[in-house]
Amino acid sequence: MIKFLRKILDANAHRFENNGVLEKLYPLYEAADTILFSTGEVTKSGPHIRDSIDIKRVMILVVIALIPLYIFGAMNVGVQNGIAMGVERTNWEQFWYGFDKIIPIIIIAFITGAFWEILFAVVRRHPISEGFLVTCALIPLVMPASIPLWQVSIATSFGIVIGKEIFGGVGMNIFNPALVARAFLFFTYPGRISGDKVWVIGPDGYSGATALAVPAAEVNQHAVSLLNGVTQFDYSWWNMLVGWIPGSIGETSKLLIIMGAIFLAITKIANWRVMAGSLIGLGVTAYLSNLMAPFSSNTMLSLPAHYHLVMGGFLFGMAFMATEPVTGCHTNQGRWVYGILFGILTVIVRAINPAYPEGTMLAILLLNAFAPLIDWFVIQSNIKRRVARHAQ
Amino acid sequence: MADLNIKKGHNIRITGVPSDEVQIGLKPKTVAIQPTDFRTLRPKILVKEGDTVKIGYPLFHCKSQSNIFFPSPGGGIVTSIQFGPRRVVEKIIIELSETEESDCHDSFHAAEIPTLRKEQILSALLKGNLIPFIRQRPFNKVINPMDTPRDIFISGWNTAPLSVNLDVSLRRRLPQFQAGINVLKKLTTGAVHLSINENTVSNTLLEVDGAEVHTINGPHPAGNVGIQIHHFSPLGLNDLIWTVNAQDVVRIGTFFLTGKYDPTLFVTTGGPGIKKPTHFKTRMGVQLSDLLSEKLNEGKQRIISGDVLTGKTVGKNGHLGFYDSTISVIPEGGDREFLGMLKPGSSSTRYSLTNAFTGFGKMLFSFNTLQNGSERYMVPINAWEDVLPMDILPNALFRAIHVEDIEEMEQLGILECDEEDFALCSFACPSKIDVGKTIRHGLELMEKDG
Repeated sequence: MIKFLRKILDANAHRFENNGVLEKLYPLYEAADTILFSTGEVTKSGPHIRDSIDIKRVMILVVIALIPLYIFGAMNVGVQNGIAMGVERTNWEQFWYGFDKIIPIIIIAFITGAFWEILFAVVRRHPISEGFLVTCALIPLVMPASIPLWQVSIATSFGIVIGKEIFGGVGMNIFNPALVARAFLFFTYPGRISGDKVWVIGPDGYSGATALAVPAAEVNQHAVSLLNGVTQFDYSWWNMLVGWIPGSIGETSKLLIIMGAIFLAITKIANWRVMAGSLIGLGVTAYLSNLMAPFSSNTMLSLPAHYHLVMGGFLFGMAFMATEPVTGCHTNQGRWVYGILFGILTVIVRAINPAYPEGTMLAILLLNAFAPLIDWFVIQSNIKRRVARHAQ
Repeated sequence: MADLNIKKGHNIRITGVPSDEVQIGLKPKTVAIQPTDFRTLRPKILVKEGDTVKIGYPLFHCKSQSNIFFPSPGGGIVTSIQFGPRRVVEKIIIELSETEESDCHDSFHAAEIPTLRKEQILSALLKGNLIPFIRQRPFNKVINPMDTPRDIFISGWNTAPLSVNLDVSLRRRLPQFQAGINVLKKLTTGAVHLSINENTVSNTLLEVDGAEVHTINGPHPAGNVGIQIHHFSPLGLNDLIWTVNAQDVVRIGTFFLTGKYDPTLFVTTGGPGIKKPTHFKTRMGVQLSDLLSEKLNEGKQRIISGDVLTGKTVGKNGHLGFYDSTISVIPEGGDREFLGMLKPGSSSTRYSLTNAFTGFGKMLFSFNTLQNGSERYMVPINAWEDVLPMDILPNALFRAIHVEDIEEMEQLGILECDEEDFALCSFACPSKIDVGKTIRHGLELMEKDG
């Protein structure tokens, strides 16, 4: 079977190579060929031997880290629907219900993403970049399960084309394409991706406020007691950690996200400095906001750090989006600053800005824009150090 | 405790590590010198095919500096002068005669050397055609003997994969090595720095006098002289530092003690493509087939003059490069694995500096020339930074070179860099970018501009 596949690929290679009938589609052939079989390219000069890691492997490992979130997400969609409808289901039924809802979103995201990637690869004559796999895998996870499919499709198009391809593709983009896609929906069709009505698939008009919206909606209260007072959902700390709460498809299970983050940090694909910085930034800012809470009517200020951690998309953004190597900082000191600022900004947007209960997406996009500036300062300090050394 | 403990870097665990046993190589039929081994050199050839030459006889000189001659690695008849594209002289091959003769020059007593004046030393080095053994930083090219370097650096420790163990090659060479150090000391206003490994057992390295000795420890590229300069006495903007390979210090010392050019060289043969990897005592510019006969493994092998990170593919009939002392053999190509990117791999099937494959063993790994991926745009997952033990931002420097911003390149420290120090970055790069090539391009731009 494997030999047969190899034979077919080899036999058809000439059609796609220079002066072949399908020359224009060579990127497509190359992609199929190298996805199925590891590449046979050999080194030409320089280091004659190379490490086994390549971009395909990097990207596929991120996708692997996301798979548990899909499974949990499907399950959770079923569970939340069950609560809303007031029906009893077995675990399998819960899973299949959610699976049925999210599979079309995934398929649409991948088809749209692949379409644009291939189109640009053919027109711009660059190889098909594996990065779109991660973008397309991330997009469904940051959408509510009730999102209309046409919106998924245009969001993905916007994310891939405007967020990435117009800059020249993976490695050249300024903003995280998956977040660009989400931000696009957030500002153009806010009704389907924010508010109380979208997070749970239930009967018409069914309202399920996310955990972050609960303290954001009240004044002069204590956030934790408010959360504990919610009867519709279990907003206890432990349950929010495990993830049986309303939210975007992939963001609810903090436990699985933490496992994914550890996996990516161990394999050195995501940089641990960004993650550590984020946690420090979030913790310190939340602590300071708690100190200010008695002097303000803003309930969000009283939310403790460990609640910030398990609510909303902070951990998801930290593990899979802030650590994105291309759009983040490129220097190690810069990564610390970038991570700390991400934690700080998330809490500030959450606590101070009444319009948006969640600040993760905007914090990351803002920092994407500032990452080159942070790097610039690091580079300048390196240059100054060198000048000072010579002056001695 | 060493003076300097390098943390970043990596010792590639490649199979075919040469044993410390030294075999005496048979006398080769031909030896060669390749003018392309010298950066930016435009040679003027002084011999023609059929000429008879002695060991150390000048074969060509530098067009821009006509007092620098390049010595013949053997005595015999010049059998061929090979040209490459655009009439670039690639190789001058000499068929060795039975009884080789040496060019003879003045010799000195060991005690006499420290009393010599700088002019006497320089004129002896020029007459003996030994200048090419001394290279300068920045740019890592043959020196201009009229310059005075701030310091001279010698690395007494090889860390490159499969390279010569200097403890072996410097055994019982203390008098010559000492003479070489004394000679070099006269050439600089500063010091002669000698970096040795903390665990060296070589008497030559431990007992030598007159050099400023530093001990170092850590993974490759800790033994690269560029890294040592960066840490012990960094290059300033207008500084000039000379470097000499440890085996060539012995050669210079021998020349002063005997008046003769000694082409002896210890080399290693190693790598997964070879049986019984070992050290050889042979000579400069040896034809590789003389050392590799009957020892290659089955299948197509790539034969490299130099180490696997920075060497040049030369083929079995090629000759050893001027500054090389490692011969690496690795199998050419490999199987295309079905769905390779999804397989977890293990320490015996996949080798990676990241932990992206399972297996964290210390096993040796049988590398081949597969690139393990195709070239992509830069995705900075810190792979370069983790193997570069210098206070230099490789990513920023790479970008500055890419847009040919001379000023920024200089600010970011390009002059302290050489491509050999960045070879590990290319090895580890997930985008399969040849970082060293870009560094070289940057240095060429700097040279043109300056």
